[in-house]
Amino acid sequence: MPVLRGAVTFARFRVETGKLPQPTRRWLARGLARGAFRPIDVKRGEDDRSAGFVALEDPGSTDFAAGGLERGHALFAWRVDTIRVKAAAVRAELERWAAAFEAEHRRPPARGEKATARDQIRHGLRQRQEPTTRTFDVSWSLETGELLVWAAASKVVEEASAAIEAAFEVKLSPRSVSAQAVGAGIAEDALAPTAELVGLSREEVRHGEG
Amino acid sequence: MARAERAKGKASAEAAFLRGDAGVDGAATDEDVRDVAEVERDQARDQLLRGRTWLGRELLTWLLWRSEAGDPLAEVEGAPLVVLFTARVVLRGLAGDVTELTARGAGAPYAPEVRRALASGLLVHQARLRLDHGERTFEVTLDAERLDVRSAKLPELLTEADDDRAAERLDLCEQLGRLVDRLVDVFLAERAARTWARRTVPALRAWMEEAG
Repeated sequence: MPVLRGAVTFARFRVETGKLPQPTRRWLARGLARGAFRPIDVKRGEDDRSAGFVALEDPGSTDFAAGGLERGHALFAWRVDTIRVKAAAVRAELERWAAAFEAEHRRPPARGEKATARDQIRHGLRQRQEPTTRTFDVSWSLETGELLVWAAASKVVEEASAAIEAAFEVKLSPRSVSAQAVGAGIAEDALAPTAELVGLSREEVRHGEG
Repeated sequence: MARAERAKGKASAEAAFLRGDAGVDGAATDEDVRDVAEVERDQARDQLLRGRTWLGRELLTWLLWRSEAGDPLAEVEGAPLVVLFTARVVLRGLAGDVTELTARGAGAPYAPEVRRALASGLLVHQARLRLDHGERTFEVTLDAERLDVRSAKLPELLTEADDDRAAERLDLCEQLGRLVDRLVDVFLAERAARTWARRTVPALRAWMEEAG
């Protein structure tokens, strides 16, 4: 739990909520429940990935009624589960199957038979595979509107921030220089690169963006 | 046999044409014929344009210049804020054949070699900074694109109970965010001023070129 200890790496956002709905704790619990983590169902679905909100101190819990709000901070985590069947494991099983097939039928399997066997082997391995779980903390100061996603990978940050926007119906603005400039009301035209520093003209930038 | 081979070749050429992979003359339509340097330059250009990354690079480069004297760059919550670049700096840009340059070493960020590279058209893309705010010292790595906080070192926690420590840690993280925001504010105010093009940029260029 990096929020509590360990490496301090996070992406920052400003949350635009307007007036926070009351009671805040219930609003928070409802939003988290809306985007709660659901485990991958290997028996029913074909999804190899699942992501959603869990309790900060217990990645197995999606019961948000009790907590999540401490000293003006909403604290929770973004959990990502993935199942990855290793290609080497499929290949090894497939080779065993092909050898057994050839011994039984006195001919090598046809391409179609091999493809069907590969799908079945992959499916079987997937059912036995434990998902890999990773969690990323989220802290949200309800007083200042500052939200931190404690992750370095931009894919995780983007996915978690989009889920927060959807679950709480809020707008998250990143704290990049560009976003802060726009927030400060600086005209678009004044944000063009400084040619003497960057080495690109205004026209080249327009062309590149278009 | 030869006829079958020819028929197979023709079928695959037709399929490639139908997929749009080949033109009527059979040549690939989207074959990348650019040389490696051109591909790298295009990638560097994309990185610069994505999310107006040039603004972040201009900020970090301006900050390097302004921080060299060791004077406070702003006041935050009544205390002066002093910035020092430490250890490692990554430069990126579209200068000639070089699109990225990393300098390591205690004094590397202010070294003449770095300034010469800046003068040639590279800008600071990522840097390790020390922020002295009043009696507190933070360290942080910032990158130009998103200004995310990476591998930050917070001041020593003063509280002992676990709950209090967590709250103090969060407060310090938010304070670090405010310090970074304040530096951005100061930069944007200077950049939006009329003096930016007339005075600031020529002075910044002169500082870079002094090292030459």
